[in-house]
Amino acid sequence: MSLDTLPAAALPAAPPPRRGSRQGGARMDTVTKLVITAVVLILAILIGYPLVRILTQAFGAEGLETLRNIATSSANRAVLLNTVVLGVLVGAVGTAIGFAFAYAQARLDFRGRKLLHLIALLPIVSPPFAVATAVITLFGRSGLVTNKMLGLDYNIYGLTGLTLVLSLSFFPVAYMNLLGMLRSLDPATDEAASSLGANRWKIFRSVTIPMLIPGFASCFLLLFVEAIADLANPLVIGGDFTVLSSRAYIAITGEYDVASGAAYSLVLLLPGLLVFLVQRYWAERRSVVSVTGKPSGNITLLRSPLARIPLLTVVLAIAALIVAIYVTVFVGAFTAILGVNNTFTLANYRYVLSGIGSDAMFTTTILALIATPVAGVLGMVLAWLVVRKVRRGRGALDFLGMLGLAVPGTVLGIGYALAFNKPFIIGNIQLLPALAGGGAIFGGALAIVMVYVIRSMPSGQRSGIAALQQIDPAIDEASTSLGASGLRTFRSITLPLIRPALLSGLTYAFARAMTTLSPIIFITTPQTKIMTSQILSEVDSGRFGNAFAYCTILIAIVLGVIGLMNLLIRDRRAPARVN
Amino acid sequence: MATTTSTSTSSGTPVQARPSGSLHLDNLVKQYPGGVSAEPAVAGIDLDIRPGEFLTLLGPSGCGKTTTLRMIAGFETPSHGSLTLDGEDMVSLTPDKRPMAMVFQSYALFPHMSVFDNVAYGLRLQKLPRKRVQEEVEFALASMSLTKLADRAPNQLSGGQQQRVALARAMVMKPKVLLFDEPLSNLDAKLRVQMRTEIRALQHKLGITSVYVTHDQDEAMSLSDRIVVMRQGRIEQVATPETVYRKPASVFVADFIGRANFLDTSIEQLAREADGARATVRALGATYTVPAHDGIGPGSPVCLMVRPESVVLAPAPDAREVSGTEGRVLKSVFYGAWVEYEIETVGGNVTAVIYDPAPGDILDPGTFVRVSFEQDRAWLLPAED
Repeated sequence: MSLDTLPAAALPAAPPPRRGSRQGGARMDTVTKLVITAVVLILAILIGYPLVRILTQAFGAEGLETLRNIATSSANRAVLLNTVVLGVLVGAVGTAIGFAFAYAQARLDFRGRKLLHLIALLPIVSPPFAVATAVITLFGRSGLVTNKMLGLDYNIYGLTGLTLVLSLSFFPVAYMNLLGMLRSLDPATDEAASSLGANRWKIFRSVTIPMLIPGFASCFLLLFVEAIADLANPLVIGGDFTVLSSRAYIAITGEYDVASGAAYSLVLLLPGLLVFLVQRYWAERRSVVSVTGKPSGNITLLRSPLARIPLLTVVLAIAALIVAIYVTVFVGAFTAILGVNNTFTLANYRYVLSGIGSDAMFTTTILALIATPVAGVLGMVLAWLVVRKVRRGRGALDFLGMLGLAVPGTVLGIGYALAFNKPFIIGNIQLLPALAGGGAIFGGALAIVMVYVIRSMPSGQRSGIAALQQIDPAIDEASTSLGASGLRTFRSITLPLIRPALLSGLTYAFARAMTTLSPIIFITTPQTKIMTSQILSEVDSGRFGNAFAYCTILIAIVLGVIGLMNLLIRDRRAPARVN
Repeated sequence: MATTTSTSTSSGTPVQARPSGSLHLDNLVKQYPGGVSAEPAVAGIDLDIRPGEFLTLLGPSGCGKTTTLRMIAGFETPSHGSLTLDGEDMVSLTPDKRPMAMVFQSYALFPHMSVFDNVAYGLRLQKLPRKRVQEEVEFALASMSLTKLADRAPNQLSGGQQQRVALARAMVMKPKVLLFDEPLSNLDAKLRVQMRTEIRALQHKLGITSVYVTHDQDEAMSLSDRIVVMRQGRIEQVATPETVYRKPASVFVADFIGRANFLDTSIEQLAREADGARATVRALGATYTVPAHDGIGPGSPVCLMVRPESVVLAPAPDAREVSGTEGRVLKSVFYGAWVEYEIETVGGNVTAVIYDPAPGDILDPGTFVRVSFEQDRAWLLPAED
């Protein structure tokens, strides 16, 4: 060991966990066992039971009939095909956009790079309808750009519009993943290729791209699942282009045919789960990005105008589109009917902020605020169990937690409606009252909180697992060896160390809860109004101004709460001598 | 020892009236799940570790030394066997309940706590009065010359300083047993030697029973009262460093500790004497009487170990070929304090090390020499099958 490696040894991020896999060698203490039981029980209620209900419905007599129909009827087969085509298109386009942004961010030097980063992240905090309604306003039949500026008679509804809207909405996920991978590529591999005689283009083709292939695959699959699971956009901009999620929605809310709904959503669930499994357990394992934590050397930025100019043009054009969309949302909220009657008005806000609107605003925020810490803590505890405590069955436990993300929102919502609309009775004993729907306790609010929790928990779980894997297991063992119990170690060692991850998990959980729509539609009640479903009804009735006002308020609330959370849970890394 | 007793009486715990820390391992086995056919990681270890003893577990990677240490600490549960400390069963206790403290290879300092808080962590868990914690920690920091760094964060320290903090954090607990898991392997060579001396001095002063895992034989030789050489989950030999070096129990031990020439030979005469067996053997074209392993019988297959530094070279001006006691230098490497030769002999190639060579005395390849060895320093042991 030479002197120049010493600073690395002095970093808190200790060497990669050597014996992480052997952790379970020691006997588990009672507290850990209790925690595992509690977590499994919670997950069983939050996700296991609703899924079981979907399965029993779908494989009931009526459900089977629908399933048979899907295979035989040409209309249904078209729906199936539409869904796959949409998933593939969005996966490809979204990954491409994400990569263009990530590559520009990591390898180009230009003014406004930071700003471009923020623009790329904008769609994450936006409510589900913002992009779709703005795109319709800009490019729709009487769109500002297509009709008013260019005089075209252009139909945005259908596959084109859906692909555009979904790609723009979901590409930030691909962007973040690929940016992380690009940044962790060891510049020494580039240098090695270059010293062996490869030029920049050759390096890009033969080194950079192949090393990112698992990343591309994983992004594509993630976007595929997000796209086929989405319900809001197919309803708004899908036009005649019906996909499985909108078909299930129509079956349940229009035809009152719960069994068919369950059957359609089962078809949706299978590729979702499959892709999720492949993505998690194949792509992640194939990753060749070396995490040594100490890049040797600096990356050389791309200078050739031949590469710069086309890439920057594409990236900036898309960035401009995103900005235009959000400007449309913002301006539209202050306009009577943007594109038709462009007079300034506060009527939209007045409508949203009084009566139903303000109700929905408060209810949604409060429910999300209740769900966020629960989801965050549950996610962290689950991560802790998966990384540190459970050996046999850790994969199953991890998967159980990730189900909340893997199961499409539409499926989850139908499952909740099936599972919790009636009291849960075994024999003559009522174990649970009705949690969702009209006659439920708390006006169905409890079911909505449950959906928020299970939907947002996986993000906490993921960031928790990533953070825990960075922490040398010996640090836990050191604490134990000094006499601390398992719980004590978690509280005074593990928790403080994963605080930043907890914060980012909470932030994401809150944003996700506030913007969740598809599962909510199926369980919302007249007593409990949720902003996203209010936006849907505004969009449905063509009152875009109100929808825009809702969206801006929703964005403001999300950003405000995230800011507050950052202030409250500050990173207290600086050691203070407590004496 | 006297210091331990006097400081521990003030703690109010009546347990430590006499120096204690007698660790007893009885047929300790660790079999990881993954099939019955798989070799156990630890295949039956018996050890009696005496109070205040410094014992080193030494062996190549995968020999089960770390698993054994982790079973003592409680991070692994033995599949079979018993583990007692001063007669008290340890297996049923979780690691946090065992009166032991461990020092880790990666230091495992708590990155979110200052040096002071790191060292105070265990004492605070015991709910000691604040003033007592302060005193104990300050004493521990002072004895590791860390007083000035008390308010620093671990990532502001060098590797050597971090290891000192880790040591102070374990020592301040006044455990009955200190466990070391390759604590010096992340340090550079010079620092390693220095820390070695410090650990030994401190352990002597405190008289705490210590179990130390390493794969570095220099570390084992310089630190230990006794060395346990392990191989494939079993103990090959338990002995003092000198015995392990001079009278290894097996070819494996002889090969693992230091360097050795192994010469094929057979016994001409075997005699049991008061200080051990002696055998007359023929090797390198001459007859020698060498000390022999107790397990050797008159007809058993044997192997003669000769350390390179026991090989004696003499000029052979008339020699023209490799025969009898005469050999030829094949390779000659000058290391400064010593020269190392590889010599072709009738009994195969022999490595010889000559310390402090005089200027101009270094033999060139091709030179013929007379090869012999100091017979009292050789060792006859059972051949490996």
